[in-house]
Amino acid sequence: MSMDAFLRAAESGLGAEHVNTADETLTRYAENTMPGGDRRPAAVLYPGSTGEVAAAVRLANEHKVPLFPTSTGNNMGLGTRSAPAEGMAVLDLGRRMNRILEIDERLGFAAVEPGVSFQMLADELKRLGGQWMNSTTSGPPQGGMIGNALDKGAGYGPYFDHFGFSCGMEVVLGTGDVIRTGDGSIAGDSLINWHVSKYSFGPILDGLFAQSNYGIVTRLGIWLLPRPPAIRSFHFTFPDDDDLEAIVELCRPLKMSNFVPTLFRVSNDLYLIGSEVPSPAYAATGGRESISDDARKALQREHGLGAWTVSGAFYGPSMEAMEPQIGRAVEHFGSVGKATYIPHQEALEKPALECAIASFSGEPTHTELGLLKWRPGGGNAWFTPGTPMDGRIANEFQKLGRGIYESNGLDYQVMNVAGPRFARGLHVISFNREDPDECARADAAYRALAEAFFARGVAVGRAPIDWYDFHMDKLMPSFRDACGAIKRALDPNGVIAPGRYGIY
Amino acid sequence: MKTDFSAEQLADPEIAAADGILRTCVHYGFCTAVCPTYVLTRDENEAPRGRIDLIREMLEKGGRPDPKTVRHIDSCLSCNSCMTTCAVDVDYLHLSDIARAHIEAHHRRPLGDRLLRRLIARTIPEPAGFARMSRLARLARPVRTLLPRRLRNLVDLAPAVLPPASDLTGVHPAEGTPRRRVALLQGCVQQVLAPEINAATIRLLTRHGFEVTVPAGAGCCGALTLHMGKTEMATAAAARVVDAWDAERDAGGLDAVAVNASGCGTVVKDYARVLERDPSRRGKAAAFAAIARDVTELLAPEELRLTKTAIPLVVAYHDACSLQHAQNIRKQPRALLRGAGFEVRDVPEGHFCCGSAGAYNMLQPDMAEALGRRKAAHVESTGAAAMAAGNLGCLAQLARFTALPQLHTVELLDWATGGPLPAALRDTELPVPIPRRSASEPDTVPAPSATPQQPDSAGPGIW
Repeated sequence: MSMDAFLRAAESGLGAEHVNTADETLTRYAENTMPGGDRRPAAVLYPGSTGEVAAAVRLANEHKVPLFPTSTGNNMGLGTRSAPAEGMAVLDLGRRMNRILEIDERLGFAAVEPGVSFQMLADELKRLGGQWMNSTTSGPPQGGMIGNALDKGAGYGPYFDHFGFSCGMEVVLGTGDVIRTGDGSIAGDSLINWHVSKYSFGPILDGLFAQSNYGIVTRLGIWLLPRPPAIRSFHFTFPDDDDLEAIVELCRPLKMSNFVPTLFRVSNDLYLIGSEVPSPAYAATGGRESISDDARKALQREHGLGAWTVSGAFYGPSMEAMEPQIGRAVEHFGSVGKATYIPHQEALEKPALECAIASFSGEPTHTELGLLKWRPGGGNAWFTPGTPMDGRIANEFQKLGRGIYESNGLDYQVMNVAGPRFARGLHVISFNREDPDECARADAAYRALAEAFFARGVAVGRAPIDWYDFHMDKLMPSFRDACGAIKRALDPNGVIAPGRYGIY
Repeated sequence: MKTDFSAEQLADPEIAAADGILRTCVHYGFCTAVCPTYVLTRDENEAPRGRIDLIREMLEKGGRPDPKTVRHIDSCLSCNSCMTTCAVDVDYLHLSDIARAHIEAHHRRPLGDRLLRRLIARTIPEPAGFARMSRLARLARPVRTLLPRRLRNLVDLAPAVLPPASDLTGVHPAEGTPRRRVALLQGCVQQVLAPEINAATIRLLTRHGFEVTVPAGAGCCGALTLHMGKTEMATAAAARVVDAWDAERDAGGLDAVAVNASGCGTVVKDYARVLERDPSRRGKAAAFAAIARDVTELLAPEELRLTKTAIPLVVAYHDACSLQHAQNIRKQPRALLRGAGFEVRDVPEGHFCCGSAGAYNMLQPDMAEALGRRKAAHVESTGAAAMAAGNLGCLAQLARFTALPQLHTVELLDWATGGPLPAALRDTELPVPIPRRSASEPDTVPAPSATPQQPDSAGPGIW
């Protein structure tokens, strides 16, 4: 490997101003929130087009240099924009490749480059008259839409599945070759179905580029939802930890029939309250113990929220027109006798529920980022298992997870994002990254959680960079071999993000 | 973030305060993408995260700052967009104030820069001085091309004509039974450049049962000089305001301090800190800060005494940074304008500064112009017939880049509740008035929802 020669060649190809090796830049790109520490890259490159990305990949092949592509670098709790290992050359696609290439207001799609954020597209749709909305996460508004879709990120509305509601890619493979997927694979310039049809002739290659390192996606079609004239949220809060069992049973039929068009956000007390305030117990224990049940109950009272809160929303022609659906939901959740209803207007005044409403509405919001200050020191890792929508199993997982958090002196913060058959459990591990002991406990807790859930047949939806290999090693050998074989076929020199998601 | 201050350095309360703020930053970097100067330059040191590092280095080293650091701190708008998005609540507002004061004390600027800053700090906050400077600038117009860039910019910024001066000091009685007594901060530039805003505020408040007093001594709040690092001038101005309000409170009591320029409101709400080193005023300053309200916080939509007909004018509402980021006021102005019958549209990229930012558009003309043009294009993209905002600085800045009528929120509210047609709308073709429904009829105002903007036509979906 000759990084110096690669950088000299890259400077002549991209322009010296688009190759950055300044100490302060490398420090920034090393940063993440993981217990495993920062990973300093060797350089940062700013390509401006698919052609320049392909040229950089070809140069990387020539000089056997590993590249790490990032989009906007907001993969919070999962690695930020840090590579899994030190010494790679970062391809920052967000800096110059941040154009919205196309918005089709008739067919409802946008085609974007990697640097386009949820906020940027939302702003542009608003500028065009607000007739369309994009699905957004509850993460940073400046998070990249391509990066999120490819990492199997999700929102909360009908188009929540960001990979599933993408259509048509342009990809630079590890060889430097450029392909278009789906109906974009037709040779020529007439690509009218590229971003509207996924399944015409040939294999569906798109899935290869999610959570992998086989190529660099430089363009993606994203489907848009017509913005409803009115969005009316509803929220029910339940008093006890074990109420999760009943909640899951209540949510399932409402989603199975799609009576409720959004997913359900089933958030525990510390997840919601943690978005608003830092832990009041941290200083007293120095972070060595979990917050006590008494302190949790006090927080619940203070914030008017129970142990679990369910949020969903209806879409309709007016707020009034949705009254019957609201009535049906109130009756349904009220049937178990433990739910307290929080209507839309009241929820608008509750900061902890603001994020739910914004997320259902395709409005990027920073309000949930407050979770990152639950404990001081900036440490944050996300553990993302899932549960079938079976109340008994979901509650068993809750007890299991809570126990592991507590045995490591950490605070259980979870949101289950529930559909008809499955709920993804976003477990936040908040820790003081400046305290080595807390870092060690965060690492131990993550591994214990992953082992325990794996033993019950559950993998994670997304993996933080510290545990890529750990997770890949849990998969069946033939699957791992297949991943490696594909890597060798599409990226024979292994130049694109070696080690990402445990693929080499 | 770890810091490395000596015990001796930490004995200085300003350094100690800075140290506390610096330690909260963990370099998440959410601030970068919402920072206007970073978005336009893509330079890490033009983003809050980079500036925070530069400030740390500057303060740890002490003494004369690196000119590069000064340049990057100078180019910060203090729009506080970074504070809204910061996950760990880094108090960048106060950190940058401390940094600017340090620069002011330890850095010798080039002569031209020193003179320009002195001119701005000494004339803008004084109404008579500002009026004189505006007249001088007008005289200089014929030779503007011969002037250096920043002086030429000052000439361009000066109003073509100043409205007639009007003295609003004194007590303005409430209509009907007085509900509350408030002191209105009439500000410095505003009373010269746009006295109609204060007049509309007084009409609006008195019409709704407020007795409004405008003390003569409460002029400039100190915001302009504070953000230039001229702490002594700022605290002197704040002290004068506090003294004037104190006398007014003794004379007739005060329930609130009303502010209709949000840049001023932000600083007034922070008076406890601005005057914390002034033992004789510290307590009073904190008390006035606690009762300071933006004018839109004093009224609720259901309280508006509306005229019988509504003018469904389409208005783009521009969030001034000092309202949305520093005071967290976003809903109230929209709710009031909608309650008054206007169709309110949000401006895309609403979190972004328009480039006004106190003295910024005088000191950093290129960046200010780029941001102003960008914002004006977004405002125009809404298709609105007029633009409203709660800060004169934004209105004046955007008037340079768009022909859309610019109005202060209170001017529209005053008009909808019986006041005169705002001057800015005199040449605008207005929609046909529509009768308002009586209280017994269903509410005509759309209930606040998570979907503030509605499509004009049937749209692409059916609901």
